[in-house]
Amino acid sequence: MSNWVQEKDTPFQLKNIRYVIAVAAGKGGVGKSTLSVNLALALKRKGYSVGILDADIYGPSLSKMLPAETSIANSPENPDKLMPFISKGIKAMSISYIRPHQDPMAVRAPIANSMIMQLLFQVEWGELDYLIIDMPPGTGDIQLTIMQNITLSGAVIVTTPQAVALSDVRKAVQMFNQMNVPILGVVENMSHFIEPISKIIYYPLGKGGGEKLAGEFGLPFMGEIPLDAQISEYADEGISLFEGSCLSPIALSYENISGHLVDHLYALESLEGDCLKDFELIWESKEYVY
Amino acid sequence: MFTKRDFIKKIYQKNNSVFTIEWIDGKTADYRLSDLQKNCNCARCVDEKTGERLIDPSLISDQLTARRIFSVGRYALKVEFSSGCSRGIYPYSWLKALASQ
Repeated sequence: MSNWVQEKDTPFQLKNIRYVIAVAAGKGGVGKSTLSVNLALALKRKGYSVGILDADIYGPSLSKMLPAETSIANSPENPDKLMPFISKGIKAMSISYIRPHQDPMAVRAPIANSMIMQLLFQVEWGELDYLIIDMPPGTGDIQLTIMQNITLSGAVIVTTPQAVALSDVRKAVQMFNQMNVPILGVVENMSHFIEPISKIIYYPLGKGGGEKLAGEFGLPFMGEIPLDAQISEYADEGISLFEGSCLSPIALSYENISGHLVDHLYALESLEGDCLKDFELIWESKEYVY
Repeated sequence: MFTKRDFIKKIYQKNNSVFTIEWIDGKTADYRLSDLQKNCNCARCVDEKTGERLIDPSLISDQLTARRIFSVGRYALKVEFSSGCSRGIYPYSWLKALASQ
């Protein structure tokens, strides 16, 4: 009996995207969006084609950090789809571009889920090396929808050093483990503060929490990002840390993390080898039994 | 650096009502479609509060067939059966455990 195993060919496909990376934390306010944007910019600087999807329906922030350089438009080839917005050479999509005013998005989970599906599959992403998904906080409906409908290449976990953040982030780690999504590494954000004049390093949120979390789950530690006014100022103004030829120490720390991301994905690819991640087996039946 | 996970290397139809999975660790196991449907964990097949099975497994034919089997994210598969409930999601970890029973 011959068999037909094929790559899934449904409208819900991100066929032309090589890697889909989720940036996540169980907790809000740890810097998922800032890391997502700066990872995207760092990867772009390395020469990759990059997209970013803000999966936070209730608190979208992407349009602030990556102001759109294009207006809303339908795809010329496929009028049912929207073109992603372009900002600093990155293809970006977020509810915040479509609904820029300040009204809260008070919708129930089924509506939020269908919005996420539209942002993923009704956007003409085209060919991309990386699509970064900036995940919303928590371990709920949106996360499940994303992980059941697309094959994530991996996840990057963001945490801040203090214990209260770590306990929520642990839950996110366990969620990815349950859903069989490999975690590419842990990034510790707001890890320390360098006093500008004396250059003394302070640890206002505690020391080494991110590295401890990585050790606890046997995950790679991808690096730390200090607390620095430049990060929030540039994000608020929609300026890239990667503009200009000479990179600041902050931009370099993001660049190092993006380097780890690329390396870890290669390592993972060689480990997973020729396994089937996304398949559809069409049953050949002489007689269906009802 | 990364742990090996439960992944499918190959999946194929063995006969009208059985399929085979070759796991990435080299183990191979046969799965009867009816065994999956009898263990469907969806909200209509299992009582949410008591965990009691709401469908009588003896009513599911051992010769049950399917139309297609497809992956759900990276962790599970779904079966579109020729009859009965097709809502269940079967995680690879569960399928692996079933194989070693």
